[in-house]
Amino acid sequence: MTLRVLVVEDDREIRALMQSSLAVEGFDVQTAASLSEAGALLRHDPPDVIVLDLGLPDGDGAQLVREVRRQQSVPIIVVSARHQEAQKIALLDAGADDYLTKPFSVGELLARIRVALRHRGTALAAAVTVHELDDLRIDLAAHVVQRAGETLHLTPTEFKLLARLVRSAGRVVTHRQLLADVWGPEFTEHTHYLRLYMAQLRAKIERDPAEPRHLLTETGVGYRLADA
Amino acid sequence: MMNAPTLRDGGVASARGWVTVALLLVAATLVSMVLDQHVALMSQAMVYVLAVVIASYRLRWIESAVCAVGAVTALNFFFVPPRWTFVVENRELFIGLATMLVVALVISHLATRLRRESETARLSERRARQLQGLSTDLASVASPAEVLSLGQQALDAAFAGPCTLVLANDRHELTDAAAVPASVPASVLDGLRCCMNEAAVLGPGTGRWPGLNAWYLPLGDKARTIVGAACVRPALSGDTEGREHAQALCALLAQSLWRLRLSASVVAAQGEMQRHQLQSTFLAAVSHDLRTPLAAIVGAASSLRTQRDRLPLPDQDRLLDSIVNEASYLTEVTENTLQFVRLSSSEQALRRDWESIEEIVGAVLARVRQRDPQRRIKSRVAGGLPLVRADPVLLAQMLGNLLDNALKYSDGAIDLTVGGTGVAGVSANGQELEIAVKDRGPGVPEADQDAIFEPYARGEQSGHRGAGLGLAVCRAIVAAHGGRLTLRRRSGGGSCFTASLPIEAQPTAKDLP
Repeated sequence: MTLRVLVVEDDREIRALMQSSLAVEGFDVQTAASLSEAGALLRHDPPDVIVLDLGLPDGDGAQLVREVRRQQSVPIIVVSARHQEAQKIALLDAGADDYLTKPFSVGELLARIRVALRHRGTALAAAVTVHELDDLRIDLAAHVVQRAGETLHLTPTEFKLLARLVRSAGRVVTHRQLLADVWGPEFTEHTHYLRLYMAQLRAKIERDPAEPRHLLTETGVGYRLADA
Repeated sequence: MMNAPTLRDGGVASARGWVTVALLLVAATLVSMVLDQHVALMSQAMVYVLAVVIASYRLRWIESAVCAVGAVTALNFFFVPPRWTFVVENRELFIGLATMLVVALVISHLATRLRRESETARLSERRARQLQGLSTDLASVASPAEVLSLGQQALDAAFAGPCTLVLANDRHELTDAAAVPASVPASVLDGLRCCMNEAAVLGPGTGRWPGLNAWYLPLGDKARTIVGAACVRPALSGDTEGREHAQALCALLAQSLWRLRLSASVVAAQGEMQRHQLQSTFLAAVSHDLRTPLAAIVGAASSLRTQRDRLPLPDQDRLLDSIVNEASYLTEVTENTLQFVRLSSSEQALRRDWESIEEIVGAVLARVRQRDPQRRIKSRVAGGLPLVRADPVLLAQMLGNLLDNALKYSDGAIDLTVGGTGVAGVSANGQELEIAVKDRGPGVPEADQDAIFEPYARGEQSGHRGAGLGLAVCRAIVAAHGGRLTLRRRSGGGSCFTASLPIEAQPTAKDLP
């Protein structure tokens, strides 16, 4: 089955570029130049993944994200410029799946789409209980974290934090989402908890915590567990 | 007397005056009694005349007049026959007494006038000296606040007060809460405003609002600008000299304030000119930094379009690489320019949070390593560093710029070290976190070490183009975080850029669940 991508982007050049590069990869590409156009397309014919540009002429992308999230679990990837962290985070917290910073290469876009599609559907997401990359193996069901075959001892909170990232492996998880899911909704402003626990986790999991291979920092936005 | 201290001491002075009158009369009577057996009546009269002259010389007119009458009466009572009565028997004696009274009064009047004139002269001299001193003091002041304090001192010294001195704001109003102390009563404030509006002195003797108990004087005049106002007390309608002195003081203060405003506007004009100059160099440099890569991109792309069939594959790849590289260079220039303008404008968009410097370093390295395939950058991050309250995106941009520069301008290994000035893991205030990027490049000549932080002042050795704004942005970012970015030459060659960031008191984490 051909996977369908909806690209919402107001710049004609970038729209054309995305259309052709995604078509080459075998996607069925629809494009929309505004939020209203995207809304119409979504009602008519829901795609498998949405690539949504920030700063569209006719309003706030968060509105669209919330609308989509009410009915569908279709993955949404936000495209933004650097220094738009606040809007990016707002969209991620509203339910967008991931983001890309402009200017991006076609390779990065494809990688993000692949990750987003893998997480598509709740049934599939629940099944992700084992994460393996290089010599790191995390088995959520068995409560085991191993590096090069050697079992690592994590505190309960460390494990909860790691598990939350495993469930979204390859995708960014915002500070707010992590704090709410691991510590509780009343802790969403306590970013320093995250810094401290992430440092502890890195010290246990990473070979070189200063240049992490697994627990990647998305500066100003959140964290991402590398899955490739 | 119009001088304040004399006015204030008036009550005491007159009491003392009357006592003196009484003492003088008693003394004259006693002396005359002692002399009674030995001298004629005329000599005793002379003793009384002496007392009257002394009184006239030292005391007020009314006191000396009373003294004169008293002296004549006492002489009559004690010594003029028939003694112990007020009756004057002898016509000659009567003429003598009357003459003595007139003489005493005349002397008293003359002495009093002389004394008043000499006191007026002394006061005028004191006031002249005060004006001179004030104008000398005002010549060296640098701020309106100093003028205000000198002016207040001068008024307090010259008048009994309470005196009030206020400065107007730039729109010549007294509305500024800061400019007018809260202690100034509303009625005084109204008077001050009124005299500024009318640009004239108000109060007793001026013909305007003579019923007031104070003079209200504007600082300045209508022809130039009115820069403030003063309220002077006490104000007597007959005290023309006092009012003139107050006006002279106010004129001096106004002049000094005008001078300050003039020099401030000159400074502002110079700043404006410099800003214009900076803006045009800035524009010239930005357009250069944008045009060159754009030319390269257009050149490579058009070459691919027209000659693709004839170009060997490696050449096509080279052109494509150049398009990607130039375009990412353009991105970098744009980011830095935008950030520089954002940081230079007053609205600073810092989004601070508690950040781990180790994480930021890791994220930056992940990005920069793409341009560092030989892994020339060696990073060393001390363990257990405290968190910093910072905008992570800005810090990442700063660090990225420093590393990119080091990669661009040097060939050998590059050391990135992060540590605290104190012990690792410190959380005390006053400590600093240091991020240092050290290279073995050609280094920056001593003379240029400040200039390279200016926008578009590039190190001369560069055949490379445009760190342009990079270091200026770095410095602005570090400064926005309350830190400083410094450069020093390394012994053995190369540069060391050090960003020092203040470490704040750490957030509490003891209740960490």
